[in-house]
Amino acid sequence: MILVALASLPFLFLAARRPVLRRLALRNAARRPRETALVILGSLLGTAIITGSLVVGDTLDASLSQGAVTRLGPIDELITAADGAERDELAASLQALDAESDLIDGVLALDVVTAAVSSVGGDDTTARAEPSATVVETDFDAARSFGGDPAATGIEGDTPAPGQAAVGEDLAEALALGAGDQMTLYAYGDQVELRVERILPQRGVAGFAQGFGTASPTLFVAPGTLATLNAEAPVGSVPPAALVAVSNRGGPLEGSELTEAVTTAITEHLGAPVPGLAPAKADLLAAAEDVGAEFTELFGSIGFFSVLAGVLLLVNIFVMLAQERKSEMGMLRAVGLRRTGLIGSFSLEGWMYALISAFLGALAGIGVGRVVAGVAANIFGGEEQALELAFAADPASIQTGFSLGFAISLVTVVLTSLSIARVNVIRAIRDLPEPPQMRTRTRWLVAGALAMAAGGAWAASGIPADDPYATMAGPVLVLAGAVALASRLLPRRFLVSMAATGALVWATVVFGLLPAAFEGVEIPIFVVQGIILTAAAVALVTQNQEILGAGLRRLGGGRSMAVRLGLAYPLARRFRTGMILAMYSLVMFTLVFIVVLSNLFSSQIEDFTADVAGGFDLQVSSNATFPVPPDEVRRRDDTVAVAALADADAQFATPRTAGEFENWFVTGIDEVFVDQGPSGLGDLGSYPDADAAYRDVLADPGLVIVSDFFLQGGGGPPEESLDPGEKISLRDPVSGRTRDLTIAAIADSSFGNAGAFVSIDSLVDLYGPRVAPNRLLIALEEGADPETVAVELNAAYLASGADAESFRSLVETNLAGQTQFFRLMQGYLAIGLVVGIAGLGVVMVRAVRERRRQIGVLRALGYPSAAVRRAFMVESAFVAAEGIAIGTALALVTSWQIVGTDTFGDDLPFAVPWLEVALLVAVTFMVSLLATAAPAQQASRIRPAVALRLAD
Amino acid sequence: MTDAPDLPTPARSAILSARGVGKTYRTGAEAVVALDDVDLDVAPGEFLAVMGPSGSGKTTLLNCLSGLDDIDRGSVRIDGESIHELSDARRTRHRAKTMGFIFQSFNLIPVFSAVENVELPLLLAGAAPKQARRRAEETLDRLGLGQRLRHRPPELSGGEQQRVTVARAIAGEPTIVWADEPTGNLDTETAAGVMQLLGDLHRDGLTLILVTHDQAIGATAGRRIEVRDGRIVADERQNASA
Repeated sequence: MILVALASLPFLFLAARRPVLRRLALRNAARRPRETALVILGSLLGTAIITGSLVVGDTLDASLSQGAVTRLGPIDELITAADGAERDELAASLQALDAESDLIDGVLALDVVTAAVSSVGGDDTTARAEPSATVVETDFDAARSFGGDPAATGIEGDTPAPGQAAVGEDLAEALALGAGDQMTLYAYGDQVELRVERILPQRGVAGFAQGFGTASPTLFVAPGTLATLNAEAPVGSVPPAALVAVSNRGGPLEGSELTEAVTTAITEHLGAPVPGLAPAKADLLAAAEDVGAEFTELFGSIGFFSVLAGVLLLVNIFVMLAQERKSEMGMLRAVGLRRTGLIGSFSLEGWMYALISAFLGALAGIGVGRVVAGVAANIFGGEEQALELAFAADPASIQTGFSLGFAISLVTVVLTSLSIARVNVIRAIRDLPEPPQMRTRTRWLVAGALAMAAGGAWAASGIPADDPYATMAGPVLVLAGAVALASRLLPRRFLVSMAATGALVWATVVFGLLPAAFEGVEIPIFVVQGIILTAAAVALVTQNQEILGAGLRRLGGGRSMAVRLGLAYPLARRFRTGMILAMYSLVMFTLVFIVVLSNLFSSQIEDFTADVAGGFDLQVSSNATFPVPPDEVRRRDDTVAVAALADADAQFATPRTAGEFENWFVTGIDEVFVDQGPSGLGDLGSYPDADAAYRDVLADPGLVIVSDFFLQGGGGPPEESLDPGEKISLRDPVSGRTRDLTIAAIADSSFGNAGAFVSIDSLVDLYGPRVAPNRLLIALEEGADPETVAVELNAAYLASGADAESFRSLVETNLAGQTQFFRLMQGYLAIGLVVGIAGLGVVMVRAVRERRRQIGVLRALGYPSAAVRRAFMVESAFVAAEGIAIGTALALVTSWQIVGTDTFGDDLPFAVPWLEVALLVAVTFMVSLLATAAPAQQASRIRPAVALRLAD
Repeated sequence: MTDAPDLPTPARSAILSARGVGKTYRTGAEAVVALDDVDLDVAPGEFLAVMGPSGSGKTTLLNCLSGLDDIDRGSVRIDGESIHELSDARRTRHRAKTMGFIFQSFNLIPVFSAVENVELPLLLAGAAPKQARRRAEETLDRLGLGQRLRHRPPELSGGEQQRVTVARAIAGEPTIVWADEPTGNLDTETAAGVMQLLGDLHRDGLTLILVTHDQAIGATAGRRIEVRDGRIVADERQNASA
């Protein structure tokens, strides 16, 4: 905001000290209120897009960060002990630290398991189940005093007695439980009936839940309940986690700032590194911030096209304003106004527009962000665990959106003012056209030489280093410089056409030509590619409009005056046409690209299912405390094979993480998984086939198979993926034991196998009894219906928290989410379309005004009013159709090229959703025509005598 | 110069006949009478100069008589058609077939070349494109612009632009050509050339109605009328010198 104030100072000075300029600016702004409104609309959309993307990030960050209050409260660090005895020892030691240190204000012992619970159905109620509830044992008095603020813990009443439960409000709502109701807890193959004593708020310790999300399906039981259930647990069950929670001094949010100091203090106090120590709240807040930032980047990047369209609209409008006011400008210069004064007058007017549009845009952006975040939360949360949205618009984000929008508008209008204030006084007064530039100015030659040198140097240094931006844009900069440099030697049209064609070809094929540079690229490179492609295509078309126009005129038979006149203006006014073409092309490029990409995934259900499923039909996940027994499932008549996999939280360090361990998960695989035909491999490394690679992993505990998406987050193609042969480290987050692994091969990118595959024996060896085969992959007899089997398994293994789903259903759900997300992006990008269409509308409104006299002449010569209307419609239709065609063609070529280079996944077959593309094109075209219908009608109503009288 | 004659019935041979034409402009509560009970007959092949000081109603008279503007009272017949009784579409067609216009500011379509500007009224009158193009080229050639066919208006001098305007006005062989201050934007020498051209065309049989405040140009016409305060106050025939 300070920058905004500083940037505004010169304009405020002008307004205060130069009354003539102030009067000019104010009266010109008030002169055409409708067009002023369109200018402000065009530029406010850019600010709205920027602010919207920031607010999306804020909202997702806040929604996930609220878990710090609702799911952790005073808990800042969690230490997982090997067992209860070790935990008690740790807790006692840390109590001593609590007493002597200013850093922490509470230590609390917890026993936790994930287990299935159900309500007990009566005559008028139906039993409901939650397969993965967090079951906690702790002392309520200790929990209430933990952290020094009883309210923040959410803990109320006494510790539940045996047979009693205190249920968190999330779980109570899911199971429709109230105080006095009965419920059943299933764990370790046993079950216990509980009476609900009270419902606890979703806050602090009472809302305790681990992992990422916003829900807290939490239940508190009497101490000893879990130990009793675990006493006769089947072999392979994971015992309760014995945790020590530590509260840092300060409130639930401020406390996390002490995390580093507390971690150090604990380590020093215990005299050795604590392997199971996890900065739970700092991790949660960091992850929330990361997700928010990723979404801000994603929406900010794709929204950049729309922002750019808004900039083009502003430039176009200001150039048109200057043309309209040309004789006034000449007169002002003639009576003594200096060029700087003219710039000042225009800039002052633009500053007012920028200020108002930035303010309104920031407000609109809050609404945009809210809508986008709401839809995104539903998509990512799914129906069952929809993200509880905490709408947040950080004042800093709104200020940033306002400032950026203001800066973009202001820079645009000031630069445009500098250019348009360069008028010849006499030519301006007499409204004579500028003479054609016969010879390129020396400064352009110098600029061309500099651009060539800079582009060449950038490309020469960047291409060998696999810098994607230098590879993409360096050669294009060389071509652009060459046009200016050679413009005294060769015809401009030839030069621009050649350079534009070169840039088009380069930006399209460079992904395939130099794939190494684009491995693991981020979204902004696609923005750069889109801008290069669009600019080149628009330049090519603009320079060769006559050829297109002649062809169209021939098609029209040369007789249609409406076609002839409608084409004449856009062909003659190249700058104006080029700007609108660029607006349309940019927006259509991104929209069609997203449509094609969306279809690319959604049309591949069969292939994805086969890819993810391997030789299996469905999978069953269950609680590690009492996993679904594989042997029981094997005994079913309809099963052919059952692979027992173990999923566990893990930490990995790779050459890409600079030695830092990052959270991911690991999957232990067994022989059946390999026998039955696992999911495919994208990079076989040194193996002849997938089977050999998987068998080697089974045999060698030092090998691992990871996927393209290993350690990846957010959207877009994978970044910085690893290669076979690279070394990574796997760490058990509880024991801290580490194992070095070599990547054997890379699995196909897909959500079903995103864990790192090691042999289950190797995993048990590293993790001990804390891993169990909690995910079964099942191959069925031919003819058996996976959906039916899934329903049967869920019913049969409720006590294990079974969650069975066919692979096809899993893929469908996942793709449905992706498709919705693409729809959301389309909706977001459609804001840019509004900019483009508004731009066309503004241009046509102004065209009617500036051609008033010509329309009068035409009418005088016998041109029917309907033909005037038709001519305007032909004109807007031509420009819109060209822009739509350029954007659509570029999007199709680019998506085809990118799919061919496997950027978004291996062997994706390219297919165009023609119906959807046609619909998008038709709707855009029709709306464009509608936007120009009013000015066209206005033009047709111009009475010749009035127009001529005003003119003469 | 004589007083305006009272002509209650149209002359049988008149190509243009106006009776009791009135036009009032209203701006809010204020009403300005621009034309007041104007009667006028113009014979075929006549060269009529409409004279008068600035604001006298000359251009309004041209606009109303040619049908470019509506009238509030009276009637105007051109070539037998009462043009103000026609619908806008029919009046427009009639104008395309029977009239040509020359304006002070040339009013060429800047995005069309010279030949495209000239062929415009021909195409509007329904001529085949090839025929229209040939006629336009011939007309421009006749007016000395054979080398400037493909140039757009901004690439032509003022005199050339006005000659293109003349070519556009006559290419369709209209019944009447209306010229509103055709030399107002030209230097003396170029203006004389344009008037010479119009005089030649008149001698070839063209009916020309020219609005001007320039006495010298008015003197080249065979007949002069003087307009003041929306009324024809003088109607004078003379021997044309052009």
